[in-house]
Amino acid sequence: MSGTDIHQLAAAYALDAVDERERADFEAHYPTCAICRPEVAGFRETISQVAASLAVAPPLAMKAKVMTEIGSTRQLSPLLPDSVVDLATHRRSRQRMTRVLSVAAALLLLAVGAFVVGRHSSNANGFADQAAAVFAKPDTLSTTLTGTGQGSFKVAWSPSTSKVVVLGDGLADPGPGKAYELWLVDSNGAHAVRLLDKADGKKVRRVVTVDGHPTQWAVTVEPEGGVDLATGPVIFTGAV
Amino acid sequence: MLRNALRRRLADDLDVDDPKDPLGTLLSRAGRGDQSAFAELYDSLAPLLHGVVLKVVRDPAQSEEVTQEAFIELWRLAPRYDASRGSVRSWATTVAHRRAIDRVRSEQSSRDRTEREAQNRPIQSGDVAEQVVANIDGTRVRKALERLTEIQRQAVELAYFGGHSYREVAVLLGVAEGTIKTRIRDGMIRLRDELGVAT
Repeated sequence: MSGTDIHQLAAAYALDAVDERERADFEAHYPTCAICRPEVAGFRETISQVAASLAVAPPLAMKAKVMTEIGSTRQLSPLLPDSVVDLATHRRSRQRMTRVLSVAAALLLLAVGAFVVGRHSSNANGFADQAAAVFAKPDTLSTTLTGTGQGSFKVAWSPSTSKVVVLGDGLADPGPGKAYELWLVDSNGAHAVRLLDKADGKKVRRVVTVDGHPTQWAVTVEPEGGVDLATGPVIFTGAV
Repeated sequence: MLRNALRRRLADDLDVDDPKDPLGTLLSRAGRGDQSAFAELYDSLAPLLHGVVLKVVRDPAQSEEVTQEAFIELWRLAPRYDASRGSVRSWATTVAHRRAIDRVRSEQSSRDRTEREAQNRPIQSGDVAEQVVANIDGTRVRKALERLTEIQRQAVELAYFGGHSYREVAVLLGVAEGTIKTRIRDGMIRLRDELGVAT
């Protein structure tokens, strides 16, 4: 999708009328776009008013069921003020942060003993459905990774299901016997998510389950089959 | 006005009730685990959310499941609600609609009936407008919908209430993908302006 095209998606996105790939692209884009962010909010408000004219009361018994179930349902923690996007400073600070974080991530990867947290949970056929399920979660956090590598990586993490969708596009061939490896960085250090086989030349399409709460993602090139301790430099990184 | 803005700001900072946004107040209480606040919120939102879900899912029994799931989701997400990104009603509608879409799309893919539907299913364009007329609250919305061109209205309805992606809507209406994307956008802009939604 070209850069000018993506603004056209605000209405279709607000109506949930995009496919999972477009949703991922758009969710990586619109929170920091001065055009799309207010458009999405306005369209959602609009369609909510249309929907209100179709209101139908549910059966009375539903309330008791809901109230019983929330009694045994944990609520998510609030997002901290740091993670709230500031439109004015986001782009600038992100460029600065990327450099800092790249170095920090590289150090962490080398310094901390890592353990495998990723479990293979997807195949080519199930990918679209699994990815769609992740993007359907309102808590899903999408990150576009940046760095020195060719191509792009997007990572979307749903805290409620612990599922992560990884989309790599336009990637360089990592070389014979090599593969891209994703790392999850949390307060304990860097953990390998050894999953990034080059399924289709330049692309990576994966859904995996991870443990813990990542604060950052990083990608390195490693021997095929993966390693538990990074050997290559960090070529992509992004804060969750 | 400045004083009001300041008062609102103070209300935010001090986390006290804002009489102008009763649902927001209930939701922030619910976000701190207050179940009685959530019960009040349920009463205010249930008809809205169930109406959306029913319109998309159609099957009453499945719709009840989805509406219920949507409320559990709202409870879980309550601590993360951000008033600067939209009203409580708009946020809750988004959550419920996405749940409904989730249900119809997963069912559709499991039955693999996409092709059959696209070829055989008649377009029920008058459907939504009729129900809207029947609703007391609907006059304003009906007037706004009437201001859309036929293709804009069909595109918006098939996308939102039909649960189709814009590409599927393009197939249903027999027009190009790029065209339908624009029609949906133009339709939503006109609806927004007709309904006086601030941007």
